[in-house]
Amino acid sequence: MRRLSIALVLLVSVLLMGFKVVMVTDVGGLGDKSFNDGTWAGIQRAVKELNIEAKVIQSYEQSDYIPNLSKAAEEADLVFAVGFMMTDALFRVARQYPKTLFVGIDITPPKGQTFPNVLTFTFKEQECAFLVGYLAAAMTKTGTVGFVGGIPIPPVERFRYGFEAGVKTYNTLYRKNVKVLRGYTQDFEDPKKGKDLAMSQFNQGADIVFHASGACGNGVIEAARERFSALTKSSNLVDFINYYLENNRGFFAIGVDMDQDYMAPGAVLASAMKRVDTASYLAVTWAYEGTFKGGHMVLGIAEAGVGISPMKYTKGIVPNRVIAELVYLEKLMKEGTLKVPETQEELDAFKVPTIRFPF
Amino acid sequence: MMRVLLALWDTFTNPLFYKLTLTATTPLLFAALGGVFSEITGVVNIALEGIMLLGAFFSVVVTYYTGNVWLGFLSVIPIGVGFVWFHAWASIKWRGNQVVSGSALILIAQGLTGFLMEPIFGQPGQTPYVGRIPEVTVPGLSKIPFLGEAIGTQSPIVYLAFALVLFAWVLIYKTPLGLRMRAVGENPEAADTLGVNVFAIRYFGVLMSGALAAMGGAFLSIGEVGNFRELMTGGRGFIALAAMILGNWNPIGALLACLLFGMSEALANQLQSSPLLHVPATAKPLFNLFPFIVTLVVVAGLVGKTRPPAADGIPYEKEE
Repeated sequence: MRRLSIALVLLVSVLLMGFKVVMVTDVGGLGDKSFNDGTWAGIQRAVKELNIEAKVIQSYEQSDYIPNLSKAAEEADLVFAVGFMMTDALFRVARQYPKTLFVGIDITPPKGQTFPNVLTFTFKEQECAFLVGYLAAAMTKTGTVGFVGGIPIPPVERFRYGFEAGVKTYNTLYRKNVKVLRGYTQDFEDPKKGKDLAMSQFNQGADIVFHASGACGNGVIEAARERFSALTKSSNLVDFINYYLENNRGFFAIGVDMDQDYMAPGAVLASAMKRVDTASYLAVTWAYEGTFKGGHMVLGIAEAGVGISPMKYTKGIVPNRVIAELVYLEKLMKEGTLKVPETQEELDAFKVPTIRFPF
Repeated sequence: MMRVLLALWDTFTNPLFYKLTLTATTPLLFAALGGVFSEITGVVNIALEGIMLLGAFFSVVVTYYTGNVWLGFLSVIPIGVGFVWFHAWASIKWRGNQVVSGSALILIAQGLTGFLMEPIFGQPGQTPYVGRIPEVTVPGLSKIPFLGEAIGTQSPIVYLAFALVLFAWVLIYKTPLGLRMRAVGENPEAADTLGVNVFAIRYFGVLMSGALAAMGGAFLSIGEVGNFRELMTGGRGFIALAAMILGNWNPIGALLACLLFGMSEALANQLQSSPLLHVPATAKPLFNLFPFIVTLVVVAGLVGKTRPPAADGIPYEKEE
């Protein structure tokens, strides 16, 4: 009996200690200050709480996805595939390793197919982008805002639909005509391309540029900092804010995926955040507890899956009225009374609903 | 059609468009000049892409440790020279295949920068922001309307690149050293007979290309964005090679070719963001093809036959 119980304890502890999570990044890789880092942050949180093991395999080219995922599936209990571009690779590998659990971030399963061992997450990017779009339209002094996309894959495009819908909503409610400039870098890794594209939008009158372009975004944020510091002759937060309050103009970037406000304090107005960390944390916990179910989940504002950053550095220059309106719009989205377009067709057909702010 | 013309007019009358053209040209220009130096002495150097990447990386590393962006920028000169020395050694001393040795350097640079990320910065992918070389305003020049806005305020590295074009042209076409370089690239046997040290001249050419390409890479990182991202050079080394060929292995020609590439890139950015053109978002990626279409048209139609140095890519074997 004693022997049996020892064996049982050993078995259980082996099972518990042996739980291993492997995350396979897409070409963006760790350090993208974006969804790869976000997913990893969520896994790390679970690792600390549950005392399990986790590691990362970095992909450098698209052709790395399948070998990396297979390698991960052989050694891990739970495998993360991060990024829309890994969709095909994930389902191909998941079919070969039915005993391993898989999580796909930003991935939608192929139509009409279900995999019991694959849980995928997508996000309502359009909802947080709507908020920053509304904010940008309310804050622009030139009447023009910009959008810099990476490669126009669905998650990037959803950011754009939401952004444009947010601008349109502000235009309708306040009878303004804020224009949106759009461009794509066709890349997620070349910060110089992001900078050049953002610069050309600033050149054409935009004063706020929202990016959804992975690491190209570093360049977008740098472009805003360069332009803003050319006005202030310094790149201090205090000087930015003073200049803005005195002269009523400035140049801003809007960050994406994570809270990127800190990357250039004062020159990043806000960030449209996608809480991939919430998704990855939940998935690890479920897999560990044995409550993991295959399927697909869409996280939006109502699920705290997306949101606008707390604007740590710039809140002081945003009028209180705008902050209050953003909170109210967020509430409408949570209630489901405000539906943000998630396709081009819906965006084209988007009619701004009558919104009466209760203040 | 009217709108396209309007958008073009809008772009070409915007002084900031020219500024953007220059910053897009600069990294290409450094690397293309490097290519000219190497190939004019008869050594093909396709490793420019790898050297740029290394320059981009180490300028950030040095800045990260010293906090001085200028030190970061200048440190890549010895690093670029040291790195390309392997190529020189393999292809001049050992008469190795220059394309193979150059490709090896590219792969080494990609692997090395990726590998060193973790021990130095504690994370793969990209480094934190380390600061960047601030723009300078040229007194006087910046006061001139239009021109001042276009070229009066720039990164000092942009001015450096254009000064280097002049330097390279004078060196290659107006000095005895330049004459020897060209002689070695055209006919090393004849040059050798006349007492020119073929090996030394070739080493000089290749090592110069290392210094220049590394500076081009450094411009991309601490000159422009202030951090390093793995593979951030994005093929600019290869575009620089094309510019060098298009410019007929001549510094001035390379400058013009780089300006053409830089301008078409800036034009693609400017036009796809233009509020005057109602292009559906799904068609926007077509604009990114623009620089390549320009290249094809120019290479196929406008430029006559270019001629490489006669001994380009051929290892020299000294006859006993």
